[in-house]
Amino acid sequence: MSLKEQLKKDFSTITLTLMAVAIVLNIVLGQVVSLLKLPIFLDSIGTVLVALLAGPWAAALTGLLTNLIWGLISDPVAAAFAPVALIIGLAAGLCAKYGLFKKWWQAIISGVIITLALSIIAIPIRVYMFGGVTGSGADFITAYLLATGRDLFSAVIVTVIGDNLIDKVVTALLAWGIVKGLPKRFTARFPRASAVTE
Amino acid sequence: MAAIDISGLTYTYPGSLVPALRNISFAVEPGQLVAVVGANGAGKSSLCLALAGLIPALYHGQIQGSVTLNGMDTRLHSPGEFAGRVGLVLQNPTNQLSGMRYTVYEEVAFGLENIGIPRQEMPPRIEHALALVGLTDLRDRSPYTLSGGQQQRLALASILAMEPPILILDEPTAMLDPQGSQNLFEIVQKLVHTGTTVIIAGHQLEWISRYADRVIALAQGEVILDDTPAKVMASPLLTQSGIGWLRYTLAAHQAIARGLWPASRPLPVTVEQAGEGFRQTNQRIEGQEQTDADPD
Amino acid sequence: MLIPHSLYQPGETLVHRLHPLTKLVYSLAAAAIIFGGPGMWLSAILPGLLAILLLWRAGLTGRAVIMVLRLLAPLTLVLFLVHGLFNPQNQTILIQLGPFFVGQEGLAFAALIVVRLIAVLVSSLSFVMTTHPAHLVQALEEAGLPRRLAYLLGSPLLIMPQLAGRVQAIQAAQQARGLETQGNLLMRIRALFPLVAPFIFSALVDVEERSLALEVRGFSASTPKTSLFELPDTPAQHTARWVMFLLAAFLLAAGFWWRANGGH
Repeated sequence: MSLKEQLKKDFSTITLTLMAVAIVLNIVLGQVVSLLKLPIFLDSIGTVLVALLAGPWAAALTGLLTNLIWGLISDPVAAAFAPVALIIGLAAGLCAKYGLFKKWWQAIISGVIITLALSIIAIPIRVYMFGGVTGSGADFITAYLLATGRDLFSAVIVTVIGDNLIDKVVTALLAWGIVKGLPKRFTARFPRASAVTE
Repeated sequence: MAAIDISGLTYTYPGSLVPALRNISFAVEPGQLVAVVGANGAGKSSLCLALAGLIPALYHGQIQGSVTLNGMDTRLHSPGEFAGRVGLVLQNPTNQLSGMRYTVYEEVAFGLENIGIPRQEMPPRIEHALALVGLTDLRDRSPYTLSGGQQQRLALASILAMEPPILILDEPTAMLDPQGSQNLFEIVQKLVHTGTTVIIAGHQLEWISRYADRVIALAQGEVILDDTPAKVMASPLLTQSGIGWLRYTLAAHQAIARGLWPASRPLPVTVEQAGEGFRQTNQRIEGQEQTDADPD
Repeated sequence: MLIPHSLYQPGETLVHRLHPLTKLVYSLAAAAIIFGGPGMWLSAILPGLLAILLLWRAGLTGRAVIMVLRLLAPLTLVLFLVHGLFNPQNQTILIQLGPFFVGQEGLAFAALIVVRLIAVLVSSLSFVMTTHPAHLVQALEEAGLPRRLAYLLGSPLLIMPQLAGRVQAIQAAQQARGLETQGNLLMRIRALFPLVAPFIFSALVDVEERSLALEVRGFSASTPKTSLFELPDTPAQHTARWVMFLLAAFLLAAGFWWRANGGH
C-alpha cells in the first residue's frame, strides 16, 4: 500500500473525529481532575486512547495539537510542551503496536515506558526554557537536590519522572480499561485497535 | 428508473454472528415518501446507513445483495461520491454540526465547500435551504447557541443545500420536543412535494399513517410488511413484532368484538378515520335508541 | 470550572486586521530569535519590546499585563528563589542568609530566563489576542493546510463547551448520589473513576455519529474544495512574512555561530 493510501487509511474520517474528541478530553479532563488535587493530571488520556485505537502517528498528532490549541486559547506556555505530548502519543502507540497493551499489567509497564520516553524531551525543555522549575511544589525537591550539589539537569530528572509516573500509569490503565469495554461494533472501525482488543 | 433499488440485501457487522439485515428487497420511485418502522434493534438504523451508501463502505463486514441509488451501486462507490447525491439526517442534533463554523450561514456552506460548488452558487442555495427550514433569521447566530430543534433544522438545511435527490432521515425527531417534531415533519412534507425521494425511519406512527405513501415494517432485520399505511398500520403483524398499533386502531379493534365498530369497515389508522367510524356507530346506536323508544 | 473559549479580544485596530499568517509567522520568528539569537539579552529584549508595542497599538496592554502576571508570577518567584540560593554556579555573594547565600550568578541566570519567558509570552499574546481562531484555521487552509488537519485544529474549540457542560452534569449527578470530591486522599481517588469514565464513554459514543455527519457532508470527497469567502491579504504582508522567516533563520544561524565561538 502506498504512503498516501496508508495515510488515508490511518486518518479516516472516524479517526479524525476521534482525535478531535480526544483533544477535548485531554483539555477538559485536565481541568476537571486538577480540581481534585491529586498527583494525577489525566491530561493525556485522550492521547493514549487514540494511541490504542488509531496508532502512534494519530496519537502523536493528537498530543501535539492538544498543547498547541491549549496554548492558543488559554496558556501559551503550554505550547512549549507540545513536543512532550507528541512523544506521549508516539510511545503509547508503539507500546500498543508491539503488544504491550493486551493485559492490565502490561498497561502498567507501558505507563512506565511512556514516562521515561516523555522525560527525555521534557527535561531539556524544562531546563533550557524554564530554568528547571515548574512553579509548583515539586520545585522544593529540585531546590533540595541543587543544594546538595547536583547540577540542574540531574535535579530536574527526579522531579519530572516523579511528577509523571503515577499519572501516566493511571492514564495507561484507564485507557486500557476503556478500550476493552468498548462495543465491538465501534472498535471494528479502527483497524489498529485489534492490537489491544484481541 | 427507480430512485432506490434494494435487491436481496443481507448484511452482517464485523464481529457479529447474526445479520443485521436479512434478504431485504424493495424499490422506491422518485418522489415517494416511505416510512420505515420497527422495534429497537430491528435494523432501521442499519437500513438507513445502507441507503446512504455508508454500509458497506465504512463498516466493512459481510454483504450480499445490492443497494442501487439513482443507478449507483453502493458497493462500488465511496461515501464521498454519494455526498450531494444522498442526504442523511441522524438523531442527535449537536453531533451533526461540523464544529468548524461559527455561524449558521457558514455551517450550511460547509457541505457545499466540500463538494466543490462554485462560490457564486453558494448564497442562493444557502438562502433557499435556510428559508425551507425557517432559519433565515438566525443566519448569523452561532450554531451552538441554538435549541435542539433549531440545530436539527440546521442539520437538515446543511444537507438540503447540497440538493440531494434522495433524503434519508433516521429518527430525526427522537431528541426533539413536540413542537420541534411538528416543525420538522412540515418541512419534510414540503420536500416531498418538490420531488425529493424521502425515507424516514422512526416511531412517529401518527404522522406516518397520515402522510407516508408507503410503510415498510422491519422485524429482526427482515421486511415483514411493505404496503400503504392503511394496510400496514392495521396489520396484526405490527403488534406481534413489537411495534404496536396506534391507540385508536387498538380501540377500534377491541370495539369490533362488542359490536361498536362496523365489522365491514377497515380499521382506522388516522384519528379522522377513527372519528368517522365511531360516528357511524354512534348514529346506529342513536337510531336503535330511537326505534327502541318508539314502540310503533 | 472555567473552560475558556479563546484569548481573542475583538477589535478593529491595525494589528487585528493583519492577516493571521503574518501574525503567526511573527510570533514563531520572535520565539526563535528570543531563545536562539546571538547576544543573550539583546535577542530577548528587542523582540519583547516590539511585541509590547504591537499590544499597545492593539489597545491590549492592560489585559496582556494581567495575563503575563497570572501565568508567570509564580514561576518568576520560584526561579529567583531556587537559582538565587541554590544555583551551582553561585560564587559572588550578594546577601548572606545563615548557611545559605544569594548569589549573583544565580540571580542573573534566573533573570535571563524570566526576561525570555516574558518576551516570548508577549510575542505570542500579540498574535493570539488579536486573531480569531476560526480565521487562523481558515488562513491555514487557504495556505494549503489539508482540510483534515484544519478540522483537527478548528473543531475542538467548538466541541469543547458542549462536552465541558456534560462533565458538569455528570459531576452534579454523581454528587447527588453521594460522591465526595472533597476530603482525604482516598476519597478523592475514589471520586475519580465515577466522574471520568461515564464522561469518556459518552464522548466516544458521539465519535461515530459525528464521523457519519461529516461523511454525508462530503468531508472525504475527493473533489477540489471551494470556499465561501476569502480572508483579506496584501502583497506587502506576503513579503513581510518571507522577510521575517529569513531574518529569523539568519539570526538563529548567527546565534549558533556566536555560541559556538564562546559567546554567553
